Amino acid sequence: MKKMPKEYVGKNIFKVDAYDKVTGKAIYADDIYFDDMLYIKIKRATYPHAYLRRIDISKAQKLPGVVRIITAADIPWVKNFGLIIKDQPVLVGVGQKMRYMGDALAIVIAESKEIASKAVKLIEVEVEELEIISDPLRAMEKDAPLIHQDGNILATHYLEKGDIKKGFAQADVVVENEYRTSFLDQVPLQVEAGVGVFDPETEIIKLWVATQWLHDTQADIAQSLSLPKEKIRIIQPVIGGAFGKREDISVHIHLALAAMITKKPVKLTYTREESMITQSKRHAFIVRAKTGATKEGYLTAWQVEVIGDTGAYASSGPAVVHKGMYHCTGPYNVDNVKGVAYTVYTNNTYAGAMRGFGATQMAFAYESQMDILAHKLGIDPVQFRLQNAYSIGSSTPNGQVLTHSVGVKETIKGAVDLAGWEEWKEGRL
Amino acid sequence: MTKLIIELTINGKKKKVETTPSTRLLDLIRDDLHLTGTKEGCGKGECGACTVIMNGELVASCLVLAPQADGAVITTIEGVGDDKGLDPVQEAFIESGAIQCGFCTPGMILAAKKMLEENLHPTEEEIKRGISGNLCRCTGYQKIFDAIRLAADRLSSRDGGRGEEDA
Repeated sequence: MKKMPKEYVGKNIFKVDAYDKVTGKAIYADDIYFDDMLYIKIKRATYPHAYLRRIDISKAQKLPGVVRIITAADIPWVKNFGLIIKDQPVLVGVGQKMRYMGDALAIVIAESKEIASKAVKLIEVEVEELEIISDPLRAMEKDAPLIHQDGNILATHYLEKGDIKKGFAQADVVVENEYRTSFLDQVPLQVEAGVGVFDPETEIIKLWVATQWLHDTQADIAQSLSLPKEKIRIIQPVIGGAFGKREDISVHIHLALAAMITKKPVKLTYTREESMITQSKRHAFIVRAKTGATKEGYLTAWQVEVIGDTGAYASSGPAVVHKGMYHCTGPYNVDNVKGVAYTVYTNNTYAGAMRGFGATQMAFAYESQMDILAHKLGIDPVQFRLQNAYSIGSSTPNGQVLTHSVGVKETIKGAVDLAGWEEWKEGRL
Repeated sequence: MTKLIIELTINGKKKKVETTPSTRLLDLIRDDLHLTGTKEGCGKGECGACTVIMNGELVASCLVLAPQADGAVITTIEGVGDDKGLDPVQEAFIESGAIQCGFCTPGMILAAKKMLEENLHPTEEEIKRGISGNLCRCTGYQKIFDAIRLAADRLSSRDGGRGEEDA
């Protein structure tokens, strides 16, 4: 082991699976085939917020080539799943609520993808429509219908540092603005896909699914199916991108149930549309920011209200929105900070992890505040940033003292050089 | 469902395959011929993961129906390089670190190969245009450009720099 740094650090190392990837030999989940494999398609919600009143699978069941259709009535022992809160149903049953268009109503298992897709269209569903809540501000109103029993505000987090009143009293200029960011899909190039096999002798379910949190996913599947963890074996194939989207359960539990019930190898691959509708997104944020600075251009106070639309299910929402709030001042020193962050349920596709985990949305708000303040103060925006930027010894809004690796000033200077900012400012670009 | 038999030459081998009028070439390649190096990213010709070379042209195999490939000559990623070794484009992708998750790589390599067959001295703009039908969601484009440049340099020096006249 002692030799390793000398051998590898600072040298070009070929990626371990590069050969397989340039020759097409790398095996991703959808590349796995078994001889007698069956194909799954999922019947999804027909309305974003509704009670399921009736589901009729009889016509679909009669289609030649359909092997089995599983509805919630077949699996009463199966429990909800979810990364932080177990609030997501494996299948929505009659009398239960669908909360977004990705909710699953039935697992259709057939001899081919085409037959499974046709059968999905033959399933008849009756629903009782409820008000669709697509705006988190509507969800937070007192008279809004509840998407989940315990209320539409899933989590409230607070932040306090210094004395916000004192901070604003010290300010010569205060700017207050609202910023909104949109949902984003991570769009890993490979859609959600998996293969499941049940071994009747050992009663072990083997799943080949690309997964970011292998052991958490295993534990979540096991608790949902009321099985010990050792009965769930996830084999990680090559992963076709993830970017946060593969932290959540996708095909896993549906594959496990189909494999257990049919005793045959099963494959489930989403279409891109299904992936967009069903799997997690980057949270849409509303950020209300009030920032104060002295006429010399030093920040004195920063107050924020963050509203994160986490969609129909929690996923990692509470952690993402909470962390977003901690980034409210960006990499800038502010002694007096106050914040509140709401993670709010809506009937939108649920939001979870995506590159930056809440930090990226905040950047739009704080960098805009910095530009607007610099303009009002008549200070060069680069200078304004540099004189407020973190250095060793700075403390973040949540009180973490930075003791090493604080490169923000160098980064700003590097970016300014590369962008040709000085030339641009002088009208030379 | 109507069945029909088509014949095609894939990676130099003649194949007879039973298919249906509505089967996509992509599904025929993956499900029937088990050449799983050809990937499906979007299913609508936007991402280029399913790129193959058909009768000398780059095609998105998700937009081609299998019967349209009757009599066609097709190259998939499995047909690039041979027993003796990798194609220079493949080698350049490995050496330049132009691979992350790898899902776009087969399509990307085929697009690069096709471009270099036509133009051994591509400008940066031509390289970008050459792979403009292929998305890399890991956003590793710079290294992909580097790899194509490296392959172009090697191929053109092998050629004594006469690549363009030969093409």
